[in-house]
Formats: sequence, C-alpha cells, structure tokens
Amino acid sequence: MFEQLVNWIFVAVGGYLALGLGFAVVFVLRGVRELDPTARERASVGFRLAILPASTVFWPLLLRRWLSGQHEPPEECSPHRCAACSASCEQKDVV
Amino acid sequence: MSHGYQFVGWNRQKKLYDLTLLGAVLSYLLLFIVGSIVLHPDAVIDMIILRALGTCAFVLLHVILAIGPLARLDRRWLPLLYNRRHMGVTMFTLALLHGLLSLLTYHGFGDTHPLVSLFTSNTRYDSLSQFPFQPLGFFALILLFLMAATSHDFWLATLTPPIWKTLHMGVYVAYGLLLGHVGFGFLQTETHPALFGLLAAGCLTLLALHLAAAGKETKLDTQDGFQQDGEGYLKLCEVLEIPNNRGRMFFVGGDRIAVFRYDGRVSAISNACQHQNGPLGEGRVIDGLVTCPWHGFQYDPATGASPPPFTEKVPTFNLKVLNGSVWVHPNPNPPGTYVNPGLVEEPGHA
Ligand code: HEM
Ligand code: FES
Repeated sequence: MFEQLVNWIFVAVGGYLALGLGFAVVFVLRGVRELDPTARERASVGFRLAILPASTVFWPLLLRRWLSGQHEPPEECSPHRCAACSASCEQKDVV
Repeated sequence: MSHGYQFVGWNRQKKLYDLTLLGAVLSYLLLFIVGSIVLHPDAVIDMIILRALGTCAFVLLHVILAIGPLARLDRRWLPLLYNRRHMGVTMFTLALLHGLLSLLTYHGFGDTHPLVSLFTSNTRYDSLSQFPFQPLGFFALILLFLMAATSHDFWLATLTPPIWKTLHMGVYVAYGLLLGHVGFGFLQTETHPALFGLLAAGCLTLLALHLAAAGKETKLDTQDGFQQDGEGYLKLCEVLEIPNNRGRMFFVGGDRIAVFRYDGRVSAISNACQHQNGPLGEGRVIDGLVTCPWHGFQYDPATGASPPPFTEKVPTFNLKVLNGSVWVHPNPNPPGTYVNPGLVEEPGHA
C-alpha cells in the first residue's frame, strides 16, 4: 500500500520532469532569447547548459511567459521603488 | 539589465577563490579517506567514500551558513559572501555524489526501484532510535538541487528577487532536515559520542552568529524618531559623521537609504543595488560613483543612475545640509531622478 503510493508519486514526478526536459531543451535553444533581454545580447553554450536543469523544473512558469509574449522579466518593487512610482508600477507586472 | 550575465563571471580573484575552494575540498576528501583506511584497515572503501563526501558537504554547508552573519558583523568577510554561490554548487555536487553512492550501496541491488526502496525499506517512522534518516537526506538534497540549479542570475531575474530569495531561504529547511539525517544516522551506526558533541557545537555556533547579526540589523531598522522640520525633512546625522567617499545607512520611508559624502557633497539614494539588492551604503565612492560592495555595479550618487551604457537606476532622495547636519526627505524620487547634492560647509564658517 505504502510502497504503491510512493511508486505513484515517483511516476508522477518523473512524468512532470520528462515533459520538463523536453520543454527545457527547446527553451534554452529558442525561447530564452525571446524572454530575456540579456540572453538576447549574448547566450553562450555554458549559459544555456547552466539554466537547463532549473528550466526542467520550472517549465510551466517559462511556458506561460513565453506564450504571453513578454520580453522582459517582471520588475521588482521595493518599498522605495513602489512609493516613487506607484502609478507606473501598477501598469507593469510587478511582484 | 545590460551588464550582461557574463559580467559577474570571471576575474582573477574569483579564479583564485574557486581554486582555493577546490583545493580545500579535495584535501579534505583525501585526508578523510587515507585517514580512515589507516585507522580502520578493515572498513569497506564504499562506506569511507560515502562518509567522506557526506561530511565534506555538511561541513561546507556550515561554512556557507556562517558567511552571511559573519559578513554583517565584520565587512572583511564580504568577498566570501558574494562568491558564496560557487560554494553552494560545490556543496550540492558533493551531497549529490554522497546520495547517489548511498542509493547504489544500500538500495541498488533489490527488486524495488532504489528511490522507492529508499522510502519503504525502513518504515519505522514511529521510532526514534530506528527513524528512517535517509529520506530526510533525500528531501534536503532536493532543496539543495533547486538552489544550485537556480543560482544563475538568469533565475534571479526570471523568478524575481522576492521569490528567488524565498526559495534560497530553503537552505535553512535543508539544514534542519540534515541535522535530522545526520543525528538519526549517528544513532544507527556505531558512532563515537564525541560526534554528537560536534554536531551540537556546529548548530549552536550558527545559531549564535545569526542571533548576533540579527541584533545588529534590528538596531538599524528601528532607527525612528528623527527630528522633522516643517517641510517634512528628517535630520539624520552630522555631515562629518559620514566618512569621506563612504556612506551611512538609515531606515527611512519604509526601507533603507544610503547617504554618501564625496567631493565636498552629500547625496542620498535607496540602499538596495538593482543587481541583487546588495547594500550600497556599505560600498565606496570610487571616481565619483557609488560602487556596490557585492559585485561592483556603479551609480551616480546625484542621479541614482548607472553610467552609460548601463541602465540600472535606483530611487533618489531630496536632501539639504544645514549647519553641518544632513536633512533628507523621506519620499523617494523615481529611480534615476537628479537631485542637487547638499554642499559640505567648511568647518568653522556657519
Ligand atoms: C538521497 C539522499 C541521501 C542519502 C540516500 C543518504 C544516505 C546516507 C547514509 C546511508 C548515511 C550513513 C552512512 C554511514 O553508515 O555512516 C549517511 C550519512 C551522512 N549523510 Fe547522507 N544521504 C543523503 C543525503 C545527504 C545530504 C544532502 C547530506 C549533506 C549535505 C548528507 C550528509 C551526510 C552526513 C554528514 C552523514 C554522516 C556521515 C557519517 O556517518 O560519518 N547526506 N547518509
Ligand atoms: S548586488 Fe551585485 S553589484 Fe550590487
């Protein structure tokens, strides 16, 4: 019973990661340049390999951003930044 | 965001640092393995390597966790702080090898999948002396993997700093799990009692360092009750209390600001560097530019903007100098807004 449960959990996680790896390969080859301005300027092989493992894990987030056509990562809002630009902050995707 | 991801990459000092790290790790492993073979000639070599890797990772984790508070207590530790990520990735690699070797040695030869066997071969979850300590190590390893895999600046920008930082706070959860992994593990293997003492000493040292550093931080972040004038300016300090070409930090407007004295002038900007929120107030003014102590991003103190071609900007604050005192308005200006610097009056004439 317990063994079966553990088995299923690993199958589910494994499936998620397998999908993720497929996505990640396409993402580091193509998508990353569209999403990230710094990578647009320069994306070495080392850089692409370095972000591959976490792309395999966080693929739903990257996929969503890629599909939404965003070309910049969202901007951070510290108390000072928000107080200084509360109007413009609301228009952007701010965390 | 135009510094480029390569910018923080490689320079001589970092290479030296990485070589030192690698040398220390390899020496530790070699000493541990040779020492064990000499002291216990009949021990199995797999077990020795497994232990060498596990303890090396665990010791390195202590070092990593100690650097943060040490750097807050004494700035001479700062160079270690901003090179900490390579240490983290090294630690993860050692832990991964330890975990893989354990899986192979203990779970690699049955009918069940090694990962399933890891959770099901010992189900004494209700026992203290027989508690399955290996799953604790497994979950810690997952957390360490997530941190190592997101250590690149790309992930800091993509996940955004608040989420990235929360994720990387997971290192404390991992440490807790590992205390269990190692502690319960010691209970189940023939272990010298002195090792429990060592485990406790490591944990208490980290706790003491964090408490000491936290005490210092709270003092800074509760600096309230500045004198306020009719226009809302707050009197922060005397000009001469700020060392030349240096900054001082204050808690103003819900966050920290950094006030700099340079070239007979005084300017105030928001303290958080746009790169990774490094403390600009602990940086120096070099060639008229505030230079972040962590990775050297630079800002013009009067505008809060990085010199072209860079595009980073931090908020600025209106400021005036009256009778040798620095007065700052707590409402931040949009990042990159020019503010007239206050002029330092010569001592003697009012
Ligand atoms: C899948 C993950 C892991 C597995 C299966 C695993 C397995 C084991 C096993 C079987 C032992 C006992 C060895 C002995 O008999 O002495 C052990 C000990 C230990 N592990 Fe892990 N471990 C894992 C993850 C980790 C991680 C992530 C760390 C630290 C960063 C770690 C650090 C240690 C330490 C310090 C010891 C004590 C060594 C000793 O007994 O002398 N382990 N682990
Ligand atoms: S935090 Fe990296 S340069 Fe400031």
